Amino acid sequence: MNVTVGSPLPVHEVRVDPGPMKTMAALLGDPNPIHWDTRAVAELGLGERPVNQGPLNMGYLMTMLARWAGGRDRVLDFRVRFLGNVLAGDRVRAEGTVTGLRVTGAGRIADCEVVLKVIGGDTVLAGTASVLVEPLGPGDHTMTPEAVHQTGRER
Amino acid sequence: MSETAPAHLALVGRAFPGGQYTLEPWRAWLLTDALGDDTGDTQPHPVMAWMAAVGGMGITWDELFAWFDATADDGPMLGEHQTTLHAPLRSGVTYRVSGKVTSVDRKTGRRAGTFDIVGYELYLHDGQEHVATCWNSLVLPRRLAT
Repeated sequence: MNVTVGSPLPVHEVRVDPGPMKTMAALLGDPNPIHWDTRAVAELGLGERPVNQGPLNMGYLMTMLARWAGGRDRVLDFRVRFLGNVLAGDRVRAEGTVTGLRVTGAGRIADCEVVLKVIGGDTVLAGTASVLVEPLGPGDHTMTPEAVHQTGRER
Repeated sequence: MSETAPAHLALVGRAFPGGQYTLEPWRAWLLTDALGDDTGDTQPHPVMAWMAAVGGMGITWDELFAWFDATADDGPMLGEHQTTLHAPLRSGVTYRVSGKVTSVDRKTGRRAGTFDIVGYELYLHDGQEHVATCWNSLVLPRRLAT
């Protein structure tokens, strides 16, 4: 996998529909009606569109990272700040940039900055992630410390 | 600016009751579908770590708010979240969940007013293996504080 510091990650776009929010509310046992009852949303003065769950918003970013890195088990660390809401009917775009590369006992790790934006709106999540982009197999000596030197950082 | 209530500061270190969470394949499928991701991939989605941690923490959100003399009517919000996976999640596994409160800080913003930020950490264990750490912060508005 050819990865360099500064590389953008392939963007991942999702149209946010109310159906998955209902599924998520059921899975979480979340009684908050802002995720599934439009009348309750309106009564709270929040408009007419249900509010997406934060974990679903996080999940869009994780999906982008996993697809790029080659598997869901490649996402090792993920940290975000919640900055705003995503509403039913919004389209969101997950974006990321490689900020560092390093080698650990597990293999080559890419550190990334990630954001989730409402298209035509605000950034709703921003943070960092670390993903395994090249596992180091037993007896694999193709990995060199050169990648570490791109950032000078290793855990 | 007001200060964090001593009773709330004393909660730092308090352990969650904890419990268990089974990462059922059907839950993983439904979550993956809700995310619009590939349901044919049986590797659990990493956001399942958060779901497992919260699902097994052993108290409800209302009970957690009540520890800090807050309720859902106060408008608590998610602040930040961090998931660290020390090992891949596995479908069908029953994880043991534990955790504790890690911090309570009083803040005041010009627009947000006074609020407390509660940090807490939850851990997933598979037998003796520590599989994941989920750190979270909750923002609790304190409208009556000045």
